[in-house]
Amino acid sequence: MTVKVGDEIPTFTRETGFANWNRYAAVNDEFVPIHMDDAAGEAAGNGGAFGMGNLQWAYLHNMLRSWIGENGEILSIEVQFRSPNVKGQTVTAKGVVTAVDGDVISLDVWTEQQEGTKLAPGSAKVKMGK
Amino acid sequence: MTETYLNDTVINAKGTPCSRSVSYPIEASAIRKWAIAVYWPEPAPEVFMYAEYAPEDFDPFAWGPASYESLLPGDDSGVVYRHGINERALGFPEWKFRAGLNGGMNCTYGVRMHVGDVITDVKSVGEYTERQGRNGLMLITQSISTWTNQRNELVKRTINTGICY
Repeated sequence: MTVKVGDEIPTFTRETGFANWNRYAAVNDEFVPIHMDDAAGEAAGNGGAFGMGNLQWAYLHNMLRSWIGENGEILSIEVQFRSPNVKGQTVTAKGVVTAVDGDVISLDVWTEQQEGTKLAPGSAKVKMGK
Repeated sequence: MTETYLNDTVINAKGTPCSRSVSYPIEASAIRKWAIAVYWPEPAPEVFMYAEYAPEDFDPFAWGPASYESLLPGDDSGVVYRHGINERALGFPEWKFRAGLNGGMNCTYGVRMHVGDVITDVKSVGEYTERQGRNGLMLITQSISTWTNQRNELVKRTINTGICY
């Protein structure tokens, strides 16, 4: 596969809510009231419970891993958590190639909700699997 | 109104090692459950269901370490810090914040985590800065987490950023 600047990579999408968050809390011991209780989320200024930043992080990894293949490598990734993932949102992880330097591919990556608002923008470097 | 959060103690702490945690050996079932959760409701890839190695984002410290020690002189609190660092033991001011947010993460990966691996996490102080925002003066904190395996190979180095105001 030839990769070039501007390529959009295959996305990873999930509808989000307690069903996702509770499963993630169960494996990551993340039973935090703001992620489990609407009153706690509202008190934190988000209108209700909201999802874990770490799960957004996982969705970005899932997207990259699927694209680079089993023998590919995620070299680095950084994101900022800009906007909360609230209940009922459809979250999509996306990526666009920004540079190709030998076998190292740089991308802008982000998660966004169904209206296109970015939740967690960032960047990543990967190597494709052979 | 707070004029600054940054005193010499906070500024000079950058780079100070704070704690060392050692994980239990990584189990295939922990990887499998992790993958089911982060791919739900679609099936997780087979490679994680019959796991030899873990997804990069897997956390072997999620349910606590096998051992933990503070590296800060005089810290006998016994408190295990999974994500942050012991600012009290570092002598930082006892700030009172209205809110604390997960600002982001920056991670560089080394070798994969495999079933049976034992991971060591050394946490250290990153850079503390401040910035004016719509909620007033914000403190931007960094803690740095360096994971190595039982062969002393780098697994990953993560900078966690917090925002407090």
